[in-house]
Amino acid sequence: MSLIKCEQLSKSYGSKLALNSVSIELNSGSPIALVGPNGAGKTTLFSLLCGYLLPSSGSVTILGEKPGSRALLGKVSSLPQDATLDPNLNLITQFTLFGTLQGLTAKAAKEEGLRVLSLVGLSDVSEQKPQSLSHGMGKRASIAQALIGSPQLVLLDEPTAGLDPANAKVIRDLVKALSTDITFVISSHNLDELEKLCDQVLYLDQGQLGQSVSIQENLTDEYITVSMQSCDKAQFVNEVSSINGVNSVTQKQEDEFLIHYSASDVIELEVQLFQLFSQNNWRYRAILKGRSLEDKLFS
Amino acid sequence: MESQTSPGMVKNSLILAKFELKKLLFNPRGLISLFAFSLVWLLILLYPIRSASSFLLTEEFRQLISAVFGENSINELFKWEVAEMAVFWIAALYLFPLFSIFVSADQFASDKSRGTFRFLSLRTGRDSIFFGRFTGHMLIQSLLLILTILATVILAASRDMSLLLPALSSGALVFINLFIILLPYTAMMAILSLYANTARQATIYAILFWAISAIIIAIINSQLPSLAELIQWVLPGAQLSMMINTQGFGSFVYAPIPLIQAAVLLFLGRSYMNRSSL
Repeated sequence: MSLIKCEQLSKSYGSKLALNSVSIELNSGSPIALVGPNGAGKTTLFSLLCGYLLPSSGSVTILGEKPGSRALLGKVSSLPQDATLDPNLNLITQFTLFGTLQGLTAKAAKEEGLRVLSLVGLSDVSEQKPQSLSHGMGKRASIAQALIGSPQLVLLDEPTAGLDPANAKVIRDLVKALSTDITFVISSHNLDELEKLCDQVLYLDQGQLGQSVSIQENLTDEYITVSMQSCDKAQFVNEVSSINGVNSVTQKQEDEFLIHYSASDVIELEVQLFQLFSQNNWRYRAILKGRSLEDKLFS
Repeated sequence: MESQTSPGMVKNSLILAKFELKKLLFNPRGLISLFAFSLVWLLILLYPIRSASSFLLTEEFRQLISAVFGENSINELFKWEVAEMAVFWIAALYLFPLFSIFVSADQFASDKSRGTFRFLSLRTGRDSIFFGRFTGHMLIQSLLLILTILATVILAASRDMSLLLPALSSGALVFINLFIILLPYTAMMAILSLYANTARQATIYAILFWAISAIIIAIINSQLPSLAELIQWVLPGAQLSMMINTQGFGSFVYAPIPLIQAAVLLFLGRSYMNRSSL
């Protein structure tokens, strides 16, 4: 059974069509990324998946059930964008309530609340109210509540937006560690982050599903992306282009080059590149098999 | 951690109802509200109720009331065994519905506008949230009712210790009657606070609702009096003026009106909750 299935899913707010006939079928497994410009319909799609909104037309099911149905309670959780915890109650009181609603005893719910807070490094503020926390801490607390119990699907809407790099890494590592048991769907504008975390990337634009990209495809992709630290750019393009089997070399950014080649015509391209760097005394920063996510989505 | 079997709607409604009461009793803001409420009622008990009940006991006052309102208009008032409870009944009949509008104005408004419901709705059904919050606010109002009734019992007993048992028994009947009266008010506020963004906005909507409804009924009354006679029963509190001249079990004659109103309003509120965006 597919984890998420949307068929001709549309949602409009008055005359504005926020989501236009989106059809997707996603299975459990590695984290799935949802990207797209502001106003593309990502949050609307998340809200429909969580049952916060009802679709204008089309259908959506999670594990074969309608979002918000009793069978899904406790199985789907989310970090909703802009939703805040009750500012008048401390974290552990609210988390204990969430746990008891999910069927835990009061004692077990409190322990579970402390466990998820420790996962995001907030054990020491469990007795504090959300209003006394910084923006980043509040975000981490909201992520923690999504992990209470044993959800099968966790939807994270911009989980690392507003977090400092160290805490953003904590969240990324947490998602990575938990992704063997939980399927995460992550909406973010940080493509580097999604590239590290996700296998499948869905691109939404103007309410429509543009494309679905698999990071795994990189391994069979006939592209190499090279990031150089120091080199003569014109000479780099000329010399790499002259390697047998290389179709084209494009300068994507200041120091980044995309090499397109025919796998059948070139032998050990990477080795040839390293030899070229050594001969010219060029220093590289990174070599990526395939194209960057940004390049895949926007070129 | 493995969660146990998904608890039922009733269980989760009760968890949420208890949590509402806990929020009042274990939260500084809740305790301040409770203290303010107690202070207001202390003043009402010490001045209007205590002095009015002493009036009620005099024969001159009884004759005056009969002369002004007619022989049988409020004759039941003089049949109360405990005068303090009689005056409390009149005051509570009008004040508690008013308190109800303020106390239950934030059943949903704040949580909905800041998105807190989104954390709850993935853990329990919308029915549980709706009925849990409603029950919680009825529990809070029950607590306020019990506090004020007990204070009235103490006031009566301090005048005459032999009134303790009659005051407790009539206090219990007053509690049940007032509880039933508050049901449609709380259900109405549940709907309004689902629609409003803040508790204050919900209160304003409530004032507008009762004021506009009263004007519409008055207009209909001038054109079609028989229709107005029927429509007036739709409004929560329509029976209050008639309930003044009742006491004890006799007050239950009017109980079906608020019970039916509450059932209809809760049905409408539940439908609204299930259809609304969170």
